[in-house]
Amino acid sequence: MKWRTNDIKQYVQAKEYIDTALIPLIPFSLSNDQQIKELVFQKELMDVYVNHIEQQLKGRIFLLPEYYYLKDDKINEELTKLNRFTKHVHNQPFKYTFLITFDREWRKVIKELDDVELLWIPSMKEGDLSQKETQKMIQSQVKEIEQLIMDSWN
Amino acid sequence: MSDKKHNEVTRRQFLNYTLMGVGGFMGAAVLAPMVGFAIDPLLKGEKESDFVYIMDVDEITNEPQRKTFVIDQVDGWYESQVERTAWIYKNNNGDILALSPVCTHLGCTVDWNSNADFPNEFFCPCHFGRFDSNGVNIAGTPPTEPLHQYEYQITDGKLYLSGKSNPREEA
Ligand code: FES
Repeated sequence: MKWRTNDIKQYVQAKEYIDTALIPLIPFSLSNDQQIKELVFQKELMDVYVNHIEQQLKGRIFLLPEYYYLKDDKINEELTKLNRFTKHVHNQPFKYTFLITFDREWRKVIKELDDVELLWIPSMKEGDLSQKETQKMIQSQVKEIEQLIMDSWN
Repeated sequence: MSDKKHNEVTRRQFLNYTLMGVGGFMGAAVLAPMVGFAIDPLLKGEKESDFVYIMDVDEITNEPQRKTFVIDQVDGWYESQVERTAWIYKNNNGDILALSPVCTHLGCTVDWNSNADFPNEFFCPCHFGRFDSNGVNIAGTPPTEPLHQYEYQITDGKLYLSGKSNPREEA
């Protein structure tokens, strides 16, 4: 399910089946031109990943709005807020909450994240999403992530 | 003196023309998208009925084959290319099936023969929905109707699919 009108109608009626939340963690910053390009590229890449995953597992996963934060801030400062955010999700209830990100920083605070699983994906810095090899690589990574999510269901 | 007056008139005229010009221009700009907005979807409708070549009919086996194809989808006034997947095969009666992999429960993607416990079935990983080899939902699992069938055409031994799939009668 996605955060859009059509899907929400279905979600409200079938909540008991949709027990898995997926939240992309998206850093942003405008302070450095090279970095902007990387961040924008990674955000676009993330859209491709989560849209694929959502399409395959639509009936059980709710792709929630992205969680944005300043890249330049200390990741610790985000923890309180993010934990409040995921706690809200958890209480609905969602049985499984997955955070998905390219940002390595989150791995350092993994122990302080409550009731969630962190899906960290090593990212390309830049690339051409229309290229066949890139698409192939993305597809195989997406498959693996889906498998990970499905494993947690079993 | 007269020169100056002349100048002033010209400037005012100029201003008038400019404002009117801009006003008219702005009016047109606002109107155009609104007309487009209202008419486009009506003119184009659902354009999913274009048929795309998939494979030769003599390549169709009894074992479902997974094929992907790209269609132009018009969603209101927004056109995009989307990828579709179909499971294509002949059933025991020799009928050609081109089934949509979208689970009729809540829309996950089903896979053929993917669960060792349920061979020769379509299996949905989300809530373990199952469909038999004809794509018909198996009682006691969440899906409530068979997998949908794509509209297809056969010309000169070639199979073409449209992006549109429809519900089927219970078998
Ligand atoms: S979405 Fe396929 S069984 Fe629920």
